[in-house]
Amino acid sequence: MVNHGLVLDLVERVGAVARHGTVSVPLGDGDAAQLNATVMAWCARTGNELVDVQGNVATVRRGRSPDPLTELAPDLVPGTRLWMYTNFDCNLACDYCCVRSSPQTARRALGVDRVRQLATEAVAAGVSELILTGGEPFLLPDIDELVAACTAVLPTTLLTNGMLFRGRRLEALRRMDRSRLALQISLDSATPDQHDQHRGGGSWDRAVAGIHIARDEGFRVRVAATLPYEQSHELAPFHAFLDSLGIAPEDQVIRALAHRGVADHGIELTLESLIPEVTITADGVYWHPVSADHDDQLVTQEIFPLQDAITEVRRRFTELRARSTAAAQWFPCA
Amino acid sequence: MSKPLTVGAVAYTPNVVTIWEGMRDYFAGTSSEMDFVLFSNYGRQVDALLEGIIDVAWNTNLAWVRTVARTDGACRALAMRDTDTVFQTVFLARSGSKLDGLADLKGRRLALGTQDSAQAAILPVHFLEHDGPGADAVELVRINSDMGKHGDTGRSELDALRAVLDDRADAAAIGINTWESIGREDLMPGAFEAFWESPTYSHCNFTALPTVPEERTGPWLERLLAMDWDNPEHRPILEMEGLRQWVPPQLDGYASLFEAVKEQGISARW
Repeated sequence: MVNHGLVLDLVERVGAVARHGTVSVPLGDGDAAQLNATVMAWCARTGNELVDVQGNVATVRRGRSPDPLTELAPDLVPGTRLWMYTNFDCNLACDYCCVRSSPQTARRALGVDRVRQLATEAVAAGVSELILTGGEPFLLPDIDELVAACTAVLPTTLLTNGMLFRGRRLEALRRMDRSRLALQISLDSATPDQHDQHRGGGSWDRAVAGIHIARDEGFRVRVAATLPYEQSHELAPFHAFLDSLGIAPEDQVIRALAHRGVADHGIELTLESLIPEVTITADGVYWHPVSADHDDQLVTQEIFPLQDAITEVRRRFTELRARSTAAAQWFPCA
Repeated sequence: MSKPLTVGAVAYTPNVVTIWEGMRDYFAGTSSEMDFVLFSNYGRQVDALLEGIIDVAWNTNLAWVRTVARTDGACRALAMRDTDTVFQTVFLARSGSKLDGLADLKGRRLALGTQDSAQAAILPVHFLEHDGPGADAVELVRINSDMGKHGDTGRSELDALRAVLDDRADAAAIGINTWESIGREDLMPGAFEAFWESPTYSHCNFTALPTVPEERTGPWLERLLAMDWDNPEHRPILEMEGLRQWVPPQLDGYASLFEAVKEQGISARW
């Protein structure tokens, strides 16, 4: 039996809520599949959205939910930037490393062939910037080849601790394309104490020396600090120090310490709270670089084709935002 | 910059706020800025227009007819939706009822919407008189579930359809917009079939009094008519308000309602 009153109920109830508001509509008696089909057909015809059907009640949104991707600033749309973990081993063992890198960590290198393929596919997928990170990328003997594969097609940023610019590694640095590559060097404080406390004795001196070398070699240098959230308002001395090193204000990056990897505290970052940045490692595609060693944010183990990975990240982001928007509407005031 | 034009509208659904905030934003920063005032019913809105509290009223066809009557025809219509120029009333019965025209309603029960709805009450009676067996030959089942809003909510029309489904009426008269919103005969196969559709007539328009000079309404009207369905910033408002394009008013389309109001003795202040 068909519940003919269902469509009348849909018109009346959905018409009584504001745009993007949701309303529950009991399906009434009848064949469940037929009732569902009726609601779906009505929503499709009238430009409304069937959010879900639980039991015998349909939740319908008036109009279509806005596309969260269109609400993001263009440079935040997932897939605009592509992160690649070149390797996970590191000459340091920072006590807050979000991906647990250290000299003992297995390399898990992405390799030049995959990096080259990713860079090529990135262009076709609409990526506008490549970012290489680790671990410490300069531990790789072929880091200059990896960078060249990237800078050949897109502007690229290479994250490093800046401590290894000597000998063959300095020669590798010198072979990189200054016009297409920026170096992002990690430095946490204006004086050695805080930096060395987390990264190891003597590391501040070598990082600052690395900043000087990179700038003397003609590279654009960004400096990125990782700070506990509670210290993020005391930055004036640090910025003054970076100014003295010649780092442009827009290249002074402050990141809050995340409770990820070996960090025993920090801000919690979840799928729901992070705008994704498509991140590729040897193990697969991750939601964000800060979670590239955590299964809860593994999107897929299939790296290729890159376009599919980007599409999947965007699809999940859209789904999560729609769910959180609906949850916000359901949250009771009392 | 001149004082913003104040437009009145009736709040028949929460979406009205979204629509008019969108309209206000569309005009913001231009030489024809506007603001809006919402009323709970058309009676209050027309009063406010005549008292000069608002400059322009977004009026139903019945509110237009009343404003014309109360101003001795001095008011003017500025614009309407493209959909307002081709409005219709549709007469429906249960599928398989074999009703074939208004004449077949003789001796049957016809559910009508709220008595101040032009499309679902006033004009249906007019059509029965002029194209059917006469209103006295039909048992009218009046459902006054959204008085004051001239049928804008559509609720009384849905209730009229429910009356047909529940066998409290043999047929119902509703507006073409409600017929569209329930998917015509497509979404409820076996429920309803249309057996008579009225000639087209005009529905809502923006109404102004001569006391509001054209120097104020002209630039506003020009910008209104420039709203573009293909512009993604304009489109959501147009979709919500149920049009693709604002158009100049078609006053001939009100003739049947003027006649119906006169014949049925509907008060100019109702």
